[in-house]
Amino acid sequence: MTIKTSNAPFLTRLKESEADPFMQKAVAKAQDAQWDKRTAARAELGHWEQWRDLGEQIRQHVIRYLPDYLEEFADNIEKRGGHVFFAKTDQEASSYIKHIAEEKHVQHVVKSKSMVTTEIDLDKELLKIPGLALLETDLAEFILQEDDWDEPTHIVFPTLHKNRDQVQQIFQKLGYTGDNDPQHLARFARAYLRASFLKADMGITGCNFAIADSGLINLVTNEGNADLVMAIPKTQVVVMGMERLVPSLKEAEVLDNMLARSAVGQKLTSYCSFSSRQVSGESDGPENFYVVIVDNGRSNALGTEFEPVLQCIRCGACLNVCPVYRHIGGHGYGSIYPGPIGAVLSPVLRGYEQFGDLPFASSLCGACTETCPVRIPLHELLIKHRTVMMNKLHTDKSFNNVIMKGIGVATGTPALFRMALTADHVAMAPLTKKAPITVENEFPEGIIRKAPSMAKGWTDVRDLPEMPKHGENFRSWFKKHQKEREVHHD
Amino acid sequence: MTEREDFLNALAEKAGRPRHQLQAHPFKPMNDLPETTLADQTPQALAALAKQNSEAVHVTYQTTTTAALPHALDAFLQAKAATALLLPTSAQFARYQLENWRASVSPKPQYWLPDAGREANLKAASEADAAIGFADFLLAESGTITVATTPGQGRAFHFLPTHYLAIIPASRIVARSRQAATWYDQEIKAGRLTTSNINFITGPSNSGDIEMVLIVGVHGPLDMTYLVVEDQ
Repeated sequence: MTIKTSNAPFLTRLKESEADPFMQKAVAKAQDAQWDKRTAARAELGHWEQWRDLGEQIRQHVIRYLPDYLEEFADNIEKRGGHVFFAKTDQEASSYIKHIAEEKHVQHVVKSKSMVTTEIDLDKELLKIPGLALLETDLAEFILQEDDWDEPTHIVFPTLHKNRDQVQQIFQKLGYTGDNDPQHLARFARAYLRASFLKADMGITGCNFAIADSGLINLVTNEGNADLVMAIPKTQVVVMGMERLVPSLKEAEVLDNMLARSAVGQKLTSYCSFSSRQVSGESDGPENFYVVIVDNGRSNALGTEFEPVLQCIRCGACLNVCPVYRHIGGHGYGSIYPGPIGAVLSPVLRGYEQFGDLPFASSLCGACTETCPVRIPLHELLIKHRTVMMNKLHTDKSFNNVIMKGIGVATGTPALFRMALTADHVAMAPLTKKAPITVENEFPEGIIRKAPSMAKGWTDVRDLPEMPKHGENFRSWFKKHQKEREVHHD
Repeated sequence: MTEREDFLNALAEKAGRPRHQLQAHPFKPMNDLPETTLADQTPQALAALAKQNSEAVHVTYQTTTTAALPHALDAFLQAKAATALLLPTSAQFARYQLENWRASVSPKPQYWLPDAGREANLKAASEADAAIGFADFLLAESGTITVATTPGQGRAFHFLPTHYLAIIPASRIVARSRQAATWYDQEIKAGRLTTSNINFITGPSNSGDIEMVLIVGVHGPLDMTYLVVEDQ
């Protein structure tokens, strides 16, 4: 799998998402649960906005001096006896790692969850080696692998779209005979994967943050699989996006706290590790330690208005608040990076030809920007993408120009605007249905469920309340209210 | 030009910013929240907070004294019905007056031995159904223990055994991760601590990957016990 997860057109992917009610319910449930946990965890920490300021400052500073930090980090890895490879492309990165596996005669590879290894299609490259066995050890990634490399649907919760019955069926192919209880399923995976851990001769991990001044890799997980990947095999390969640097252990500690609270509503994840090549006297941990630093399109953002996207710490909070993600899930985006961050990042990495639809998969409500722990102005970057596409790619904007010009004339001419306010209620009346208030209907005055023409896109997924009568609209209410206040003050 | 130089120069060129400016512009944090958060708490308040937050992450939190420590450890082994015990090679046994206890404890312990090599230590850890180790710090804010890998207490010591107990001196209960990070940072940079690995461990391993149902105990230990020694 590479960054692009589907060749189907955007609208086809949306239809497929629409036809998956389990996925939609699962995403809604996850978003709601995470809302509560995230909000509570941030409130408990206190001064959250100032923490965001600090998080943003750390990330912006690193991006500003990125070549210097990369140089410092690489020097320190090498001082510890490790090796660093700078890969401009996905092919360079995966070929290099395959070469290491061949050179070391690796037979058993264990991996811990890493978006970058998915991005560079590493599994496919390694499995070209005859006799090599490779296992994802994160529970979710293991489920996806055993389901014929199904695509992830969320940055933090990759199997959100799968229910326990599906997981049971997947595990039955591996010899599982128990029921669909998640606890029993997880125990089976534990035993199955433990055997693979113990015979692994190469471990592959991602990297949450790379610590420049010490050459340590910082990884956060809840399952503990990454720590076994870093403890047991003699050879470890770390694959990291080139922007994942922090100046020191202290800044890693700040971001680990913000990441855990933003991603899963925890104060810290169960395991938060700072690790490098084995030192003299230690008996486990990697003797051979490689770090592969991947550009793969990230540098397209440097020096441009899209540079803030490199601040991302992959917490997934923007997915968890996005109304569009709620409806279409991860697969709808067709990128391993879904949601608002994916809609900004994917076109930066692979261009508009592949991902030009994604910046339009947003209501621009700004919830993503509001929740981002490192203050990436996500919805503004989506607008910038649209602008670039409209301007630089010479997209035909005559239709939009006509519409906007018409709206400009109507709203800029008081007589026309007043006429529209009077006419809207009358014009909508034939399409309006009245129903009492229920959980499905908050507008007893009347709603339109199926609007024609351009408004159809709106009513396909949400209600359109009927415009109020002239005497009941906001302007009339405001005038009346102001008069009442004047009388009261007199 | 090396591949590294080529890569870094290309980044500088794309960013439109020259290289080697960091020394003149080191990172200076805009606020001191990491240091000041919970900094006003008394040791007693931190201990209470540590207990509350440890239990919130499914940890069995217990306190004892140096004199009562052997009894507390025996009780743990009995409760877990341990048949294969893993202990570290550590000078801390003497500090906690546990030399006699470890000579007579049942089951007879296996040790993580500095000279035994990878295979033997991993075998001992994977066969152990209980491990008792020494932690460096307990973080009150999150219920987290911290451990630095040493030749006598390796990485997998904390991950392969089924049940895990950490002994923590009460004097090492600190407010939050910042205090521990600062200590490790200083010790490593001063050359007083040589390690390849530091773990911050917050309760037993867990996952929400199947229908977001919380499963406690995935790849790491199925349960964790923190034993705080109040007079240490």
